[in-house]
Amino acid sequence: MNEARFMELLGAYGADLARWPEDERAHGEVFLEGAPHRIKDVWESERGFDHLLALEKDVPSSIALETAILGAAPGRRRVGWSLGLSGWPSVPRWAAGGALAASLALGFAVGYAGEMQSAPEHDYAKMLTVSGGGASAVFLTAMNDVGN
Amino acid sequence: MRDPDEELVLRVGAGDKRAAAELVRRHLPRMVGLARRMLGDAAEAEDVAQEVFLRVWRHAAAWKPGQAKFETWMHRVAMNQCLDRLRRGGRNAGEVSPETPDARASATRALDDRQRRERVRDALQALPERQRAALVLCYYQDRSNIEAAEILGVSVEALESLLSRARRTLKTTLAAERADLLSGLETG
Repeated sequence: MNEARFMELLGAYGADLARWPEDERAHGEVFLEGAPHRIKDVWESERGFDHLLALEKDVPSSIALETAILGAAPGRRRVGWSLGLSGWPSVPRWAAGGALAASLALGFAVGYAGEMQSAPEHDYAKMLTVSGGGASAVFLTAMNDVGN
Repeated sequence: MRDPDEELVLRVGAGDKRAAAELVRRHLPRMVGLARRMLGDAAEAEDVAQEVFLRVWRHAAAWKPGQAKFETWMHRVAMNQCLDRLRRGGRNAGEVSPETPDARASATRALDDRQRRERVRDALQALPERQRAALVLCYYQDRSNIEAAEILGVSVEALESLLSRARRTLKTTLAAERADLLSGLETG
């Protein structure tokens, strides 16, 4: 690493060496340690500028947006009942018909029970909070605080 | 290195709503942040984020692990959406010099945090779109230089040039306020 390259990287990526290209970080660190004061002054100035940029922070996303996005997420596909009957050549037609009727009835029952047990499709805010919360939980807490 | 989102995306593709919720929790704030900084409009940023996730939901079942890193792909989709919107709207499409922020610059004492943030935000918005995109990806989205270059479809050298110009332009734009901004940070 020479001075020209150090200054080039400093001017592009800023003072935080963690943002520098991976293969040049260690060289940059060594160069900075042994650099003259004028270089260290430039580095300090860039560090100040990094702080300034950091003022533009992320804001939490809205719960309404999360809910809308999750509302469009794909659900589980139901598979299984449509397979198989044609693979049973020894079964008489009447038995196959009976099995089909029975399986349909069972399918409805299982499907209904499954729906009853699973979280309602629209209850995504709850799901987000249960699954770890993060920004959503913080947002909900903040909203509750505002409400109080 | 294994893609940290790989398993979640596969589960989303299989219709797992909890995996979808986790993916949203993990990436939505960043997608909104990227779009907000690129477009300067909170409502439009939410539209972009929603569009990105709709694409995720559509493509999750066909996702092939081991190709592009999922998060890089999301960033590319979001960035393209933003650049399309900027071009469609005819906003900030050329490499124009940013305007110096208005007379507010002279009244720079006792700036509060909100005002400081707004000044930085205004200066970011005044950057030409490619410079802003490079800075947003490398600085605010923590993308590596290789990832950012890939997302923007440029070489790493070109990315470095965009970043240097972005920082130089911002320094000029914020020169009047810089001392005040930083002294406020030190004392605050």
